[in-house]
Amino acid sequence: MKKIVYALLGVAVLAVAGFLISKALQSSLVYFILPSEYARDTAAFEGKRVRLGGLVQAGSVRFDDAKLHLTFQITDHLKDYPVQYDGAPPDLFQENGGVVIEGRFHDGVFVGDNLLVKHSSDYHPPADGEPIDVDALKESLR
Amino acid sequence: MSDTSGRTRRPRWLTVFGLVTLAVVGVGLYAALIVSPPDVNQGDLIRVMYAHVPVAWIGFAAVAASAFWGMLYLWRGRAPDDVRAQATAEAALLFSVLTVIGGMTYSKPTLNTYWTWDAKLTLTALMVALVVGYFIVRALIEDPQRRARVSAVIMLVVLVSLPFNYLAAEWFRTLHPAKSINLDGSGVTMAPVMVRVLLINVLGGAMVFFYFISERIRIGRLALADDKTFDSVRGVAREVVSVR
Repeated sequence: MKKIVYALLGVAVLAVAGFLISKALQSSLVYFILPSEYARDTAAFEGKRVRLGGLVQAGSVRFDDAKLHLTFQITDHLKDYPVQYDGAPPDLFQENGGVVIEGRFHDGVFVGDNLLVKHSSDYHPPADGEPIDVDALKESLR
Repeated sequence: MSDTSGRTRRPRWLTVFGLVTLAVVGVGLYAALIVSPPDVNQGDLIRVMYAHVPVAWIGFAAVAASAFWGMLYLWRGRAPDDVRAQATAEAALLFSVLTVIGGMTYSKPTLNTYWTWDAKLTLTALMVALVVGYFIVRALIEDPQRRARVSAVIMLVVLVSLPFNYLAAEWFRTLHPAKSINLDGSGVTMAPVMVRVLLINVLGGAMVFFYFISERIRIGRLALADDKTFDSVRGVAREVVSVR
């Protein structure tokens, strides 16, 4: 009896491991696409659920806090697209900052429903009037 | 009956080491919460990093240590090596689960999600699942030698996944940030004061790990000696019965 329970547990763990490996192979290797990658093959992505990664274009952020509606341009400095998102911007959301957003393209507009922040791996205290290192942020997207 | 009362007591050096460990963890906590400046982007949330990164690194080290003792068992077949492999595997389970829990709490306010299936997080989930599997398999096998062999092989599989996990954010696009301390000499993208605070906490975590496994190995070896005594007593009893 004890053995059967353990055997079932073992099978369950193996199933979970297999599930995780297949998940990893399916979606994790290309966790998000860049705006320029979408531009190269728009037909393949049209209407499909994708993760779009890029930087928030400076000066493009509009947030209507009455309707909780956020719009901005996402860019990889090769191509940029307007993004619509119903919700408040996350704490670390900032101009020239990295984002990954889940959603679909509709006629060249990306309608997202899950807005994630991809921050750079630069950590340091803020200096007065220090500009944000856009090159480092770009590098963080690759 | 041999006198084992001296051996069953925790050695003095380990108690002293435990107290020093507590002090270092205290210093690390002070450094993380008071000494470290806030980060330019994350603000005070950077302080969570001083717990998350050491815990993750020590989880990796624990897997490597368990795989090492497991390999040694496969080579020499000595029971104490299996005791060491099991002790470090328990630490690996503890630290990898803490990595996930800590990572989730750190991730929500910074990356705006508790979880996502990127390569780094998926491989970490796989590591936890495999280490849980290690203990299920151990519980399933009654023959101590077979148990030691099979579980050593499982830990070797976990070891193989470690480089992929460690370099996941370098090799694949992930939400998880890439490394800031690159051991290949390509630089450190963290302020020197933050690196120092991080390293104090890595030392504290490593000492906690060392204390735990030392105590666990000591207890495991006492249990091993107990099993041997039991087996020999049972052997004598069987002989007595068969003579009659």
